[in-house]
Formats: sequence, structure tokens, C-alpha cells
Amino acid sequence: MSQHLIALPIVLPMLAALVLVLLAGRIPDRHQRLLSVAFTALLVLVNLALLSRASGGEVAFYALGNWQAPFGIVLMLDRLSALMLTLTSVLAVGCVLFACAGDDTRGSYFHALFQLQLMGLDGAFLTGDIFNLFVFFEILLLASYALLMHGGGKARIGAGLHYVVLNMTGSALFLVALGVLYGATGTLNMADMARRVASLSSDQTALVTAGGLLLIVVFSLKAALLPLYFWLPHAYAAAPAPVAALFAIMTKVGLYAILRMQTLVFAGSPAAPAIDTWLWWSGLATLALAAVGVLAARDLRTLIAYLVLISVGTLLAGTALQSPAANAALLYYLPHTTLICGALFLIAELIGRQRGKAGTHLVRGRRLYQRFLLGGLFLVAAIAVAGLPPMAGALGKLMLLQAVEGSARLWFWPLLLLAGLCTLVALSRAGSVFFWASYRGEVATGRVSRTQLSGVLWLLASAPLLVLFGGPMSAFTLATAQQLAQPQAVIAELLGDAAAAQASQFHEIPGEAP
Amino acid sequence: MATLVAPLLALALLLIQAPAVLAGDVVTLQLAWMPLLGLDLALRLDGLALLFALLILGIGTLILYYSGDYLSADEDDGRFLAYMMLFMASMLGIVVADNLLLLWLFWELTSIASFLLIGFWGSHSDARRGARMALTVTSAGGLALLAGFLLLGQAAGSFALGEVLAAGDAIRASDHYPLIVALVLVGAFTKSAQFPFHFWLPHAMAAPTPVSAYLHSATMVKAGVFLMARLNPALGDTALWSLCLTLTGLTTLLYGAWFALLERDLKGLLAFSTVSHLGLITLLLGLGSPLALAAATFHILNHATFKAALFLGAGIIDHETGTRDLDRLGALWSMMPLTGTLTLLAGAAMAGLPPFNGFLSKEMLLGESLETDVLGTLSVIIPLLVLLGATLSVAYSLRLMWRLFFAAPRRSREQKALPPMAVHDPAPGLLAPGLSLAALSLLVGLFPMALAAPLVQAASWAVQGEATLELHLTLWHGLNWPLAMSLLAIAGGVVALRQHRRLAQIAALFSPRDASRSFEAAVLRVIKASLWLTQRLETGSLQRYQALLILCALAMAGIGLVKLDTLTGAAGMQSLDAMLVLGAALTVFAAISSALSHRWRLVSILMLSVVGLMVSLAFVRFSAPDLALTQLSVEVVTMILMILALFFLPQRPPLLVSGRRILRDLVLATALGLVTAMLNYALLTRERPAIADYFLRESVPGGGGANVVNVILVDFRGFDTFGEITVLTLAGLATFGLLHGLKLFMPAGNVEGIRWSPQRYPLILAVISQLLLPLALLVSVNIFLRGHNQPGGGFVAGLITATALILQYMARGHAWTRTRLPISYPIVAVSGLAVALATGLGSWLFGYPFLTSAFGHFHLPLIGDIELATAMLFDLGVFLAVVGATLMILVNLGRVTTIHRPSLEEP
Amino acid sequence: MEALFSLVVGVLTASGVYLLLRARTFPVIIGLSLLSYAVNLFLFSSGGLRTNAAPVIGASLAPTDPLPHALVLTAIVIGFAMTAFVVILAVRARSELGSDHVDGQHGEEEGPR
Repeated sequence: MSQHLIALPIVLPMLAALVLVLLAGRIPDRHQRLLSVAFTALLVLVNLALLSRASGGEVAFYALGNWQAPFGIVLMLDRLSALMLTLTSVLAVGCVLFACAGDDTRGSYFHALFQLQLMGLDGAFLTGDIFNLFVFFEILLLASYALLMHGGGKARIGAGLHYVVLNMTGSALFLVALGVLYGATGTLNMADMARRVASLSSDQTALVTAGGLLLIVVFSLKAALLPLYFWLPHAYAAAPAPVAALFAIMTKVGLYAILRMQTLVFAGSPAAPAIDTWLWWSGLATLALAAVGVLAARDLRTLIAYLVLISVGTLLAGTALQSPAANAALLYYLPHTTLICGALFLIAELIGRQRGKAGTHLVRGRRLYQRFLLGGLFLVAAIAVAGLPPMAGALGKLMLLQAVEGSARLWFWPLLLLAGLCTLVALSRAGSVFFWASYRGEVATGRVSRTQLSGVLWLLASAPLLVLFGGPMSAFTLATAQQLAQPQAVIAELLGDAAAAQASQFHEIPGEAP
Repeated sequence: MATLVAPLLALALLLIQAPAVLAGDVVTLQLAWMPLLGLDLALRLDGLALLFALLILGIGTLILYYSGDYLSADEDDGRFLAYMMLFMASMLGIVVADNLLLLWLFWELTSIASFLLIGFWGSHSDARRGARMALTVTSAGGLALLAGFLLLGQAAGSFALGEVLAAGDAIRASDHYPLIVALVLVGAFTKSAQFPFHFWLPHAMAAPTPVSAYLHSATMVKAGVFLMARLNPALGDTALWSLCLTLTGLTTLLYGAWFALLERDLKGLLAFSTVSHLGLITLLLGLGSPLALAAATFHILNHATFKAALFLGAGIIDHETGTRDLDRLGALWSMMPLTGTLTLLAGAAMAGLPPFNGFLSKEMLLGESLETDVLGTLSVIIPLLVLLGATLSVAYSLRLMWRLFFAAPRRSREQKALPPMAVHDPAPGLLAPGLSLAALSLLVGLFPMALAAPLVQAASWAVQGEATLELHLTLWHGLNWPLAMSLLAIAGGVVALRQHRRLAQIAALFSPRDASRSFEAAVLRVIKASLWLTQRLETGSLQRYQALLILCALAMAGIGLVKLDTLTGAAGMQSLDAMLVLGAALTVFAAISSALSHRWRLVSILMLSVVGLMVSLAFVRFSAPDLALTQLSVEVVTMILMILALFFLPQRPPLLVSGRRILRDLVLATALGLVTAMLNYALLTRERPAIADYFLRESVPGGGGANVVNVILVDFRGFDTFGEITVLTLAGLATFGLLHGLKLFMPAGNVEGIRWSPQRYPLILAVISQLLLPLALLVSVNIFLRGHNQPGGGFVAGLITATALILQYMARGHAWTRTRLPISYPIVAVSGLAVALATGLGSWLFGYPFLTSAFGHFHLPLIGDIELATAMLFDLGVFLAVVGATLMILVNLGRVTTIHRPSLEEP
Repeated sequence: MEALFSLVVGVLTASGVYLLLRARTFPVIIGLSLLSYAVNLFLFSSGGLRTNAAPVIGASLAPTDPLPHALVLTAIVIGFAMTAFVVILAVRARSELGSDHVDGQHGEEEGPR
């Protein structure tokens, strides 16, 4: 059974979705919720088991249909994918708990769609096949379309339309890129492709470069890099709170895909430097403009959406550095920023409900019903997201800053630090408007329910926990980064040593194909 | 009072360590935390840390005691005390940290605590503004400090404080040294309110007075000074360092003192005086001689005692009289003798009058200012300016004491009508802390060797980095220059006080600016600018975002193409024939007309369907029968869907497009088309290494089917198909959500205004569809069964079935069909998925991975040998999912045209 | 032949992209469909263009690469699901936003942009 564990993160949510649809309308909402939470919690356990398995350092493969790579599809579990899987399910627990307080019944099939979304995410993190990645991207996208517009309403449909059309164009480009890559390399398995890319003639390398760059455009759209991020603030601000919180991981799927391509498929190929250049400048520009957007935001939700963008810019600029230290740093920073941005979306919803008409707009409003509770939650989340101690954001930022070397610092340090300052200024304004500058009289509606609170606390707990276990966690991310730095090991594991030798020969002399 | 337990306990622990530290030892504690980061939980107690820790805990205890009586009963003192304790802990962390990064963590934490405490009365707008300003300025400094620390750690090779302090020479020799000094000093200056970052401190006075006493005079603002002292061995002893500190210190000293003299608000006066004294300490650190460093540490101690006492006194006066306006207060001596004593003692120390402790450290400053040559030949002006500063400080101290206790209050006419203030000394809880601090400042002045010298000496050792100095503190040094200067300063101060009105008139010539307002205005300007920029970028226009996406794709694919040596590859081209040319021409024509006729929507759809047809023909021509079948059946369903949808969309939209826009779009579209064509051409004319042979070889023996495409779909890459039917089902579920609660514009007639035919279900269609249904079902079964060996399969079969069923709905209406076909399509789709999933999971029972197929020849009685593959079961799942999902989408859309709306309660 | 095929793919792409950049939901949908035809042909051709070489064992002597066929089939189905979704979304957007402009009435007001 244990060898099948790798397939469970995909199978389990699928099963959950099937059960939930089949039982829709047949069992009370309460039981539906219970089922959904239970399945999500089970997923966390499965993923933790996978995490402990992957932390041994061995890359595990799972050949679907028992067809060996590169002919069949394989699932690939290394430290990176285990980390992303665990992160996703941990985030999902918080979101689903929160949704159980009533957001789920505003439209149809919320929990089933939610589980399918998880299935898509997990599949994207696990698959070792590039076309299969496309399929899982489509699953997670379609689920995200539905979830984004869950409950309907003008803002959601408007933002949703943009999101859908842009991503459909993106999917078309994805297929073109796949066609180019398959045409040039003749394979779809990532490790096999890496091996073949390494032994291509320069003529075909140019084609691979074109395909690779096109692929990166698609991933940049998902990750929301400049100039492809403009859809994000509207979409995230309009989405229902638990969905917006879950979407905190969506940009990271793009990041993950880019990281995977850069460290495995294109490692050492001529495409890699071009991609790095793009990621570096675009990431920095995203960081800068997102910081500007944080200051400009007039609504807390929009503000948080820009915070998501800040983390995207930071992470992708970090990816461009292509050093194990930088990767270790960004993998430490990533879970924290994802979970905290998620928590912030949930907190914003709670604040909005208790402020009546003023909602989450940054204007004076009536006093919150549970001022100190929400104020405390907001404070913790704000400190964490701004990268201030004693939360893990500060440590993540420290690691990132340290990982940058040489002239790259000149850009990265000021931008990252200034973005932190902008965050702080914006959040302190928001906090003082919400919690200090209130009119007399309270809005007595929207009392925080126990499930909502538990969802928020579950996510917020990551901030102190990542500090407390900073040592082991950073050791793990460093090990992950080191594993990523050795694509030959993956190739050898999957396709045999001869294949790896072929690839490693290339990796030693980058730019010169035999 | 229970809150006092923790600080007292800490104080006791500190005192246990004190003797060792005073002897020059350094007590440390090291725990590894994040070795990767160079961050350890390392603590260090040396002389400097001891001095600060004593101040933090000692004064902290007194102030916590005081706060118990200060806050009124209805205030949330639990929250207040929690913030205070948070602050106390983080401040202690700064002073005992033995790791630069750890120090920084605590440093930022004090900024947060200070923000919360200044904003404690957040319902007042000045408290909010003050809090935000303090947070912004100090954390901006904190970020600069962080950058400085990172560079410093790199130059020193470690973040451990001990190693950094020992690596002074290496640091001073590093290229980054000027940058490190600049960044660290920005951090220190913002925290310690040095000019030009001083402006936040007076506005921090919106905090409750115990906070001002504790954070903004005795401890937190000293963190910057502490940092400079702490890093003196590593960074100090260069011209750059001395120059920066001396000049900043002098400027701040004079600036603060001048504004303190003019200030009307009691706490504002104390705040400016704090700024001035912090400048004094910075100046001493800049002078850098051993004695100057000792004087700096000594003054840190002295200032903390007398200034905290003064704040506590100011708090009492505010608390009892309800005002802090110096002009309205006066003649309080007779009513508040104890408060008066407190203020007079501490005020005298602030003025630097003998025999108070302030006198001692000021004498040392005056002495050192005469010795220095920091400014080269210009060094002469230092003693003069210091003298001026000392004069001003005498003047404002005297003014404070005079106005509060002896001068008559100035009152407006209305105020005179009110009865005179009747106030009295407060309860001992409020008085005792202040009085003991004031007494301490007197005692230290009288017995400096006994009370202060060992501590100051140990601290100054830490600042110097070597334990050489033997400190002698006495009140009487004999007749010398410093004494003369002190006397001069006192005389000057008295004169300045007498001429106060004239000075104020001079000051009034320069229009005063409220720092908090201009700061807020600056922030607002920044926000406005960012709003402008953001709105420019995010116009909310999908067309623009699409254009950007396409531009990116164009650029990226272009980069690859440019690197290609020749477009035509080695494999070359195959020959053309007439059919191909005709087909291509038709496709091109249809595609272009579809694009151009987009405003005549029906035409556009028709042209689109022609393209679809041509594409399926292309599939036929190029040996892909499966694809052709699939494309064709998808085409049919898509057309039905689009025409249904067209019903709800405007038939002919208004033309709203500029010529330039069209040109831009044409250029973009042509460019991407060209790039795609070139990529495609380049690929087609090159040899392909492929894994195809494996599939062709293994299809029959390994997959049990002759139709390789189908075997790939259900076996080799069955997982893709599994995902694909998930997408389909998801689409069904998702559209269900979209159609749920939909309000539609229902046009009553077509675009020409002709009403729809009242005949809802045409008879001919009804008859034909009924005839077609069994036929279609039969075809589906056939296509399904043969799929594994010949073109076909579950997907195509599913689509054909779905189309036939949809025809029934169209011909007979929803209600009619519903009663005869009482099936819930979501259930059908989901059971399809379930079948596929179960097939996949079934292989686990036999110990094989997910979706492993098995096939075999089974011998059944009567029928004989048949071949069965589990892949067939999987394909059945595909079939069901396709039927269910397609019908879910189409029937629901069709149904909203009638009165039925989809709802969750499907039967 | 290869040049002609690429030309057709290019024209389909260009027509699709042009429609994608229109301001109404309907042409955008048509554009997406055209684009997906182009993309499917592109992906299909990555296995080479062969006549009379259907990848059915026994039907032809030298069958063509079957893998792109399977990929395109998957892509067609996924494309169908997506098209269906976006068509319904367009209907919903019309009713919710009161306009078939891709930016809703907000786009309508600002006129040509």
C-alpha cells in the first residue's frame, strides 16, 4: 500500500469530490461539511507522510498504469513537491473550515469544486510529465473559475470573465509550447526531456528555447508577473474569502512550474539564462509595482491581493538567482507568505462583515463588534506579512537578502526592503482606520463563528511555528534546494545511469552541445 | 501589582550576575537556532548591557508601579500592561543580544510595541498619526539597519557580536565600510530621534505619560545610542564615524534645546529636551576619547533617571490639572509641594546644576569638547556650540520649573471667570516612583564613586572594546575651564529665561510647521501618486491585458526563432496536391471571414463551423481518423451550444472601435500568426527524435488493442484521459453554478424585430429526432466497442449519444423529455468518473500502480473466447462522464430558456 | 506541403488572435475556438504529417507517431469543456453586467479604447 501513497494526494480529493456530488442534496449541509473537512484533514496526513518520506532525500517515482518512463506518465515525489503538497493541504484546511461557516451554501457544489481544485493542484505538483501538467493545470483552472464566481454577483462575474479568457489564451499558448517541445525533443517526460535537451544540436536548441520561453510566459501568467498580473487584484478582491485564501497558492503553482522547468528540464541549456533574465527583471518590476499598488489600495482585499503580488515578485526574482542558497531562502519564505496571505483574506472578510456598509473599504466606519479579537488577528497577520519579527516573514526575508550576491543586491535589497516599508505603512493605516478611528456604535452582525476562527488561527499559527522550528525548516529547504541543483540524480533514478551521464556531461559545459 | 513580579525577578537575576560583569567579565549564553542564517539565540551580558538592563528593569518596575494608579478604572489596563511587558522584553533583548540578527529582531519588535503604545488612545487622531509616524520612521530606519547589519556580518564573517567586535580592523578595511556606517547610523539616528529624523518623537507624546517616560525618554530612544556605543569597537575610531556622530550630535543638541525653550506643551518641552540630550550623548560618542565614551555612558544613566522622573511629574500634573499647557499652568508649588520637589530636583539635574548627576556628566562633556580635534582647525567651535547648548538647556529647565510652580498662570478672560484650580498632590502610588528617581539623581551627584562609577566604568570598557580606563568621578575638579563654562551657562540661562518673550518673538518670525501634518501630507502625496500609477496600469480593460499577453508570447517565441540558423530544416518538404491546396484555401477563407464578420454573429459561427469541418478533414488526410471523428462530434455539440447562447447575446452590437485600435490588433494578430507559422514550419521540416516506436510495438502485446491512439488514451496515458474527463465533469458542475439563479434578457424576437414562431417544437424535428435516437445509440455502442482496435472509443460514442439526446430536448421540450428520461446528469457524469476511478484503484488490489490495465481472453460458456480489457471499463467511465457532462451543460442552458431554472434539488 | 500547412495554422492563429482582441464576449469566444483549432493543428503536426499512415496496427505499414494524436484528442476535449464553460459565462456575464462588453458596462461607457 505504501508505494501507492504517492497517488493518494490526487485520488483522495477526487474521491471526496465524487462522494460529495453523489450525496449533494441527500445529506444535510452539516454532514457535507464534515465530510469535506475530514477529507481535507486526511489529505494533510497523507501529505505529511509523503513529506517525511521525501525528506530522506530519495526521489520517488510512481509509474501510472505500470508503464515505465518515458512512455507512460510518472508521478515524481521529491522534497519540493512534498513541500508544495503539504503546504497546499494545510492551506486548504484553513480555507475549508472558514467556508463551512456559510460561504459554501451561496452557490452549488462548493465542496466538490474545492476538492477538485485540490486534486488539480496536487496533480500539478506531482506529475513528472509535461503534458500531464497541462491537464492538471486545466483541472485546477476550471475549478478555480467556478470557485472564483461561486455565489455570483457583478464584481465576481466581471473579474471572472477576465480571468477565464486570459487563462484560456494562456492554455492555447501552453499547447503551442508543448508542440514545440515535443517536436524538438520527441518526449514528454520531464526527466527524459532534460536528458534530450542536453544532447540536442544547436539548431534544435533554438527551438527548445522558443518553446521554453513560451512556456515561461504561460507560467508567468499563472504566477502573475509583470506585465501579466493586472488581472489578479480584481479577481482576488472579488473572490469569496475562503476561495481568495486558497488562491494564495495559485500563483505559487506558476512559480513551482517555473522552478521545475528551470532546475530540471532546462537546467544548463541555453534557454535557462534567457529565462532567468526575464524572471529577474520582471520579478523586480512586479515587486516594485506591487509595492506601489499596496500603497494605492483603497480596499483591504485589494491591498492583500497586492501583498500576494509582492510575494510573487520576491519569489520569482529569487528564482532567477539560480543558487541553492536563494532557492532555500525562497522555499522557506514561500509557505509563510502563502499561509499568511490566505489568513489575511479570511481576516479581511471577518472585518468587513462587522463593519456593515463600510465593508473592507479603508474609510472610517462604525466600531467592530469584536474589536480586540479581530484587531489581534490582524496585528499578528500584518506583522507577519510585513516581514517584521517575531514572525517567520522576517526570517524568510533575512534569508533572501543574504542569498543575493554581488551586483544583484543593488536592485534586490532596496526593492525588497522598500516593499516591506510600503506594506507596513499601508497596513498600519488600514489597521488604525479599522480598529482605532471608528465611530461610536457597533455593528452587531457578523459575529465570528468558531469554525471561522479556527480556520484563521490554523493559518496564522504557521507564522510562529515557522520561527520556532526555523532551524529544521531551513535545513529542509536547503536540502530541497540542493536536491534541485542536481537534476542528474533525478534522471539517473528514473532512466538509468547512462542517461544521466549523457546529461551531466552537458551540464558541466553549459552552452555547448556535443 | 502582580505584573511587577516578572521585572523584579529579572532584576534579581541580573544583580546576581552583576559582580562578575563589573569586574570586566562577559557572561554569555548560546543556543543554535537557524545556523543557515547565522542567527543564534545568543545572549551576552557585559558592562554596557548591564547598565541598560538595570535601567530597563529598574525604571520599568517603577513605571509599571506608577501606571497602576495612572490609568483610570475604565481603561483597558490589561492590554496596556501587556504592551508594556512586550516592550520591556524586546528592549532587554536588544541590549543582551549577542548576535546582530537577533538584535535586529528585537529592535523591530520595540518599534511595534511603541506603535501600539503610542496608539493606545487610538480614538484621538493625534495618537493615530503619532503612532503611524513613529512606526514608519523607526522601521524605515530598522530596514536600513538590517541592510547595514547584513553587510557588516559579511565583512566580519559572522553575525555573532563577539566576533564582529573583534573584527573591527577587517570591517574598517572593507569596501563597504562607508555604506555600513551610513546604513547603521540611519537606523540608530531614526531610533534615537537624531536630526533630521527627530520629528517623530514630540508627536509620540500622544501616548499615555508612563509610556513617554519609559519608552520615549528612558529606554527605547536610547536604543540608537546603545547601538552606536555597542558597535563602537567595530565601526568607530575613524574620521568618518567621528565626523558623522559629532556633527549630528551637535546639531541635534542645539536644535532640540532651542525648540524645548519655545515649547508650550509640558510633555513637548520634555520631548525636545530628550532630543537634545540624545544629541549630547551622540556627540560624546563621536568625540570618541576614552573619557568621552565614559561620559556618554554616564549621561545615559543620568538622563534616564532625571528625565523619567520629570515625565512622571508631568504625568501627575496632567492627571491632576487636566492640562499640559505651560501658559495655563502656574503657581502650583503651594498646592503640590511634593510634586514640586520632585520636579525641582529632577529639573535641576536636567539643567546641569551642581550637585546633581547632570552636572557631573555635563562637566565631562565640556572638558572633552575642549580637547577634541575632530573638525581639525574648526574644532574650536565645538566648545562654543556646546556652551550654547548648555545655556539653552539651563534656560528651558529653569523655565519649566518657574512656569509650573512659581509664575502666575496666564488665563484668558473666560478662564478667569472659572474658579481657580484646586489641585493637590496625588496618592503615594503616583508620587513614589518619581520621587525616588529624582532622589537618585541627587544621590548619584553627591556620591558618584560609590553609586555610579563601577557600573559606568564597566560599561565604558565595553564601548571602548578594552578595559583600560580607571574612572574617577567627583563633584569638585578645582577651578578650571569646564567649571567656568558651567557658570557661564547658568548665567546665560537665567538671562535667556528673562528674555524669553523676545526669543519667542524671534522664533515666531519663522513659521512653525507641524511635523505630523507635513509628514501625513507627504504620505498622502505618495499614496496619490501610487494610485495614479496603479490606475494607469490597471485600466480594467481585458483587451489591453490580452494584448500584453500576446506581446509577451510574441517576444519570447521570437527570441527562440532569432537563434535559429535556417528556417527550413534538413528534412525538407513533401509535395503538394490539388486537394490540399483547395482545402487550405477554404480554411483560410473561412477563418478570415469568421474574423471579419464578427459583428454578423450567425455568419461568424457558420464560418467557424466550416473551419472546424476543414480541420477534421485535415485530420482525415493526415492519418488521424480518431481525431477526425472526435473533432466532428465536438463540432456538432459546440455549434448547438453557441447558437443557443447566441440567443441571449445581442445580435448585432454597436461599432465602438477606432481605426488605430483595429490596426494595432491586426499587427499583433498577424505577427503572432507569422511567428506560429514559422515555428510550425521549422518543426515540420526537421527530423524528430520520438518515442513513437515504443507505442506501436507495445500496443498489441502490452495494451491489448490495435488502435494505438485509443490504447495510449486508455492505457499508456490513461492518466491524461482521467484528468480530461475530470475537466469535462468539472465544466458541467461549474456551468451549473453559473446558470444557478440566472436572470436572462429574453429577446422577444430576432434582430429584425420579427417575433419568434409560436410553434415551440417543430413537428418534423420531433419525428426525425425520434427516428434518429435508436440509430444513434446503436452507432454509439458500435463505436464504443470497436474503439480499442479501430477508430472510435468512449469519448466519441459519448458525444454521439449526447447529441442524440439533446435532439430530443430540442424537438420535444424539456418537460416532455424529462418525464421520459428521469436521469440526473450530474450523477451520470460523476458515476462515469467513479467507474474510471474504481478501474484505476482496482489495480491496487493486485499490487500494481494506479490505472494499470489487464486484459485477457476469457472463456465464457455458450459464447466462447472473448477478449476483455479493464481499459474497456475505463472507457465506459469516459463514455458516461462525457454523456453526463455534455447533457448537464446543454440541457441546463436550454432549460433556462423556459421557466425552469436549474436548482440544486435535482431529482 | 509543410509550408502550406504552417500557413494555414498561421492564418488560423492570426484570425483567432484578432478576434480575441475584440471588445465583445462573442467574438472573443469565436476567437478562442479559432485559436484552439490552430493550436490543435500545431500540436498535431509535431508528430509529422503523413498520409495513409493511420496508427492502427495492421492498417498501415509504417504508422505515424500516434502520441500527438492522443494529445490532441485530449486537448480537443479539454477545449470543448472550456468553450462550453466560457459560452455559458458569456451568457451569465451579459445578464449580470448588463452588457456583452468584456469589461461590462464600465467598458461600454468609456467607448472605444
